Amino acid sequence: MVVGVRALIGTSKGLFILTAGTDRRRWDIEGPMLAGWSVFHAVVDHRTGEWIAAANHMVFGPTIQRSSDEGRTWTRSTDMPLPADCGLELKAVWHVEPGHATQPDTLFLGADPGLLFRSDDRGASWHVNEALLHHRTRDTWNPSAGGLMCHGVQIDAADPDLMFLAVSAGGAFRSTDAGASWAPINKGVEIDMLPNPYPESGQCVHKLVLHPGRPGRVWQQNHCGVYRSDDHGDSWDRVDGNGLPGPFGFVLMLSPGDPDVAYVIPERSYEYHYTPDRRLSVYKTTNAGKAWDRMDAGLPQPAWAAVMREASAFDTESVYFGTQSGSLFALTDDERWCEGARHLPPVLSVEVSPWSK
Amino acid sequence: MVQVMLPSLLASQAGEQRRFEVDAPTVGEALQALPVADLVMRALVKPDPYLLVYVNDTNAAESGGMACPVSEKDEIRVLSILAGG
Repeated sequence: MVVGVRALIGTSKGLFILTAGTDRRRWDIEGPMLAGWSVFHAVVDHRTGEWIAAANHMVFGPTIQRSSDEGRTWTRSTDMPLPADCGLELKAVWHVEPGHATQPDTLFLGADPGLLFRSDDRGASWHVNEALLHHRTRDTWNPSAGGLMCHGVQIDAADPDLMFLAVSAGGAFRSTDAGASWAPINKGVEIDMLPNPYPESGQCVHKLVLHPGRPGRVWQQNHCGVYRSDDHGDSWDRVDGNGLPGPFGFVLMLSPGDPDVAYVIPERSYEYHYTPDRRLSVYKTTNAGKAWDRMDAGLPQPAWAAVMREASAFDTESVYFGTQSGSLFALTDDERWCEGARHLPPVLSVEVSPWSK
Repeated sequence: MVQVMLPSLLASQAGEQRRFEVDAPTVGEALQALPVADLVMRALVKPDPYLLVYVNDTNAAESGGMACPVSEKDEIRVLSILAGG
């Protein structure tokens, strides 16, 4: 029986589990699990019930950790080989994405440097995606502040062959053949610091999210603006001009029931990486980006907050985010933010799932 | 048998076991026999300044590194991140 929501909170010092009732006002904390590891991302695979974590360590490197008993024990996988002649070394694992509902043994993994892995045995072994590894635009990619990471791996709910991903900074890509090939989809997406601001690839996509209910609608929070596409990324409309304090930010949250709703948390430019105007604010659009309204009831002031790219989540009932200063916030029914935890280690990722007893 | 001692973070990846007994003629082969060999060897291949291996009272890096011979009653200690700053 579902009694509330469970959040998997990846931090720089391990994985924390937060649970709350359906009102999302009072949260209990367990952890840390995987203590000492920087958990860049952790998810519950709803197809199998397994927990999967992308855990990195400055000495021991990148690993995938899996648990089939809700975090009591973990199995480590480091079997993520790269071709010896590719000249690349796996630096970090960033994003775990369960495969399509019809492929319960399949997982995808976005990694640094600009790599996508696939597992068809629920994470025991991984195979690098050759099409992305040898992509003809790779020479145009450059590492961002956190590395050259592949993230934003998204799979169309109706078509397991239709996939999207983002590379920071390499751009957004789409596959219509289950990853056998990747087409850049960056038309109209700006790199405002370059002499040619509209190249085919090289854009710094901070977050890419496919709307789960409206075919073709894709959102991205980019280094240089917020964009929305209604044609699977063939074209993009820039939508950060009406009400946002700036174009820069990392996270993006959606509403599964309303494709015109989105939430972002602007930060003050790539040189500073903290929220502007001495406050932590979320901005919401209800009309597909035509206008944005600030919603900060319950958020602390003054604040100079930062929210990492994987540190936001949404479900059918609410939206959630965690800060580098160790807080988790959830939106409650009265459009007020509830601070579910504070003084956690820096939050790197947030994912939520139904909590059952 | 050679004794191998792990730091707590590595022990957590080895079923919470900190001490192992292995039959190996060198440091490298002893470490390869551990259930966390993938993690240890990845760090040592560089070598990583944050991971040290001692054989009794001697840094193995000063005694042949992975080829450093070990024998019965030797104790290998894997030390992770000595620096605190």
